[in-house]
Amino acid sequence: MSENFIRDPQSRHLQWMGSLLAFAVYVFLLAPIAVVVPMAFGSANELSFPPSNYSLELFRQFLSSSAWTGPLLQSAKVACISTVIVLLMGVPAAYGIARFQFPGRGLIMGAMLSPLIIPSVVTALGFYLYFSYLRINGTTLALVLGHVMHTLPYVLVMIVAGIQKLDRNLEFGAQLMGAGRFRMFRTVVLPQLVPSLIGAGLFAFLISFDEVVISWFLSGPTTATLPVKMYSAIRWEISPIIAAVSTLLTGISLVVCLIMVALKKTTPAQG
Amino acid sequence: MNRAAELRGAAAFVTPATLVTLTILAAPLLYILYTSFEGPAFSTRAYSELLGSALFRRTLSTTLIIAISASALSLLLGYIIALHLARQTPRRRSLYMVLVLLPFWTSVLVKCYAFTVILGRSGLVNEVLTWATGSQVELALILNRIGVLIGMTNYLTPFVVFPVLASLMAIDESVYRAAAVMGAKPSRIFRTVTLPLSLPGIIAGLSSVLVMALGFFIVPALLGGPRDAMLSNLVDFYTRETLDWSMAAAVGVLLLGMVVLAIAPLSVLRRRQS
Repeated sequence: MSENFIRDPQSRHLQWMGSLLAFAVYVFLLAPIAVVVPMAFGSANELSFPPSNYSLELFRQFLSSSAWTGPLLQSAKVACISTVIVLLMGVPAAYGIARFQFPGRGLIMGAMLSPLIIPSVVTALGFYLYFSYLRINGTTLALVLGHVMHTLPYVLVMIVAGIQKLDRNLEFGAQLMGAGRFRMFRTVVLPQLVPSLIGAGLFAFLISFDEVVISWFLSGPTTATLPVKMYSAIRWEISPIIAAVSTLLTGISLVVCLIMVALKKTTPAQG
Repeated sequence: MNRAAELRGAAAFVTPATLVTLTILAAPLLYILYTSFEGPAFSTRAYSELLGSALFRRTLSTTLIIAISASALSLLLGYIIALHLARQTPRRRSLYMVLVLLPFWTSVLVKCYAFTVILGRSGLVNEVLTWATGSQVELALILNRIGVLIGMTNYLTPFVVFPVLASLMAIDESVYRAAAVMGAKPSRIFRTVTLPLSLPGIIAGLSSVLVMALGFFIVPALLGGPRDAMLSNLVDFYTRETLDWSMAAAVGVLLLGMVVLAIAPLSVLRRRQS
């Protein structure tokens, strides 16, 4: 909708109104971040905005309390392990789905993508009941397994999209030259996929790191992740430390968001 | 490549993930169904008890009302943003896009915490209103329906922006020019060109938002009051408070059924569009 054909004053007026409305919505969308970040740099015994004086006190309290650093490390651990597993499993699967026709392909893909549609409370309940039966509830293993299944669909979608942009003739060429299936995959497909791999890995890490519902059902007292700890903290006591934790989470989101935008720009084909 | 080689190739790549999906995802989901019928005993006790319980019926209607209103609100807000983004030059569009992407990536817990600070009894909004009116204002904006709708709309709006923007950008500009040349006023252009041609994006956005809204758990738990509990919270209640796993499983099955019912007509519509 370029401006050049709009001359009528009524439409100018409407456009101006539209932009004004859009800015109001942007403000609404960004309000939570705009409030939480300054609060994190406020002092420890006030819960108001804007803070009257600025300090790093809340971050110091956050990082010196084992009630918070334990869950922080646990989240980092679960997110790292899940990301590695989901990539090891999801990338070859995405290649198989993108490049081969086989019976049951739609069904397998549907099953792997189903967590996108199934409410996470339902998958969480399924894991909870099934893992109680297997007696692994409350362990880090249970959390990792839950997070792997929860992040698999995102990895699958991103990697399949990446593979579909590659030139298949290079793969045929490698196989004609005598490379086995896995050697071809390792030396021809994977190197070309690096931007998608980084993107999918970051996405999986962030989803796992921020995930609340599944972790809420699967974690035990010693395996609580940061979001679980935060969820119960917001429920029971509104401590200003949560502002510092929120700022940390937002910072991680911002970094991931910027890397993703940068990755999109460096990929030659538009994505 | 012949057919046998094709199959062997596919199997080599797809088998590990398929086996994991079957044992770690499909099995738990089937296990919910099994538990909802009380295991081998096969009884429909949980379902008949649920359908007879006032708590369940109230939660069901709350879930539907909240999910539909939050989806409608986010469609409205998302459409406003998408229209604005579609009008920008590519450079400015990617700049404004960050304003949508950053909230999109922000944890739902961060948003809930922020809204308790913004909307609380002595929160930012009430403070500003007190200052502006000169008298003490203490509007109840959280721990009720308003809080849930604000929180959910804030979370869901970016999910509408992306598909709607994609459809708006796909509209050929000459259609607008033709409509304007023929003398159509902006409101008429919007009604007869923009809106119908962006319908695929609206349907895609609406179906994904509705699916998410039906299963919301964190926002009603943190920003809603006891009367705003949704089906997800009921699942949690039966699992943790009353330890009645069959009831929890039955609620889960019904919730999943609702989600499927909600997207079925929308996906039929989407197929007809394409």
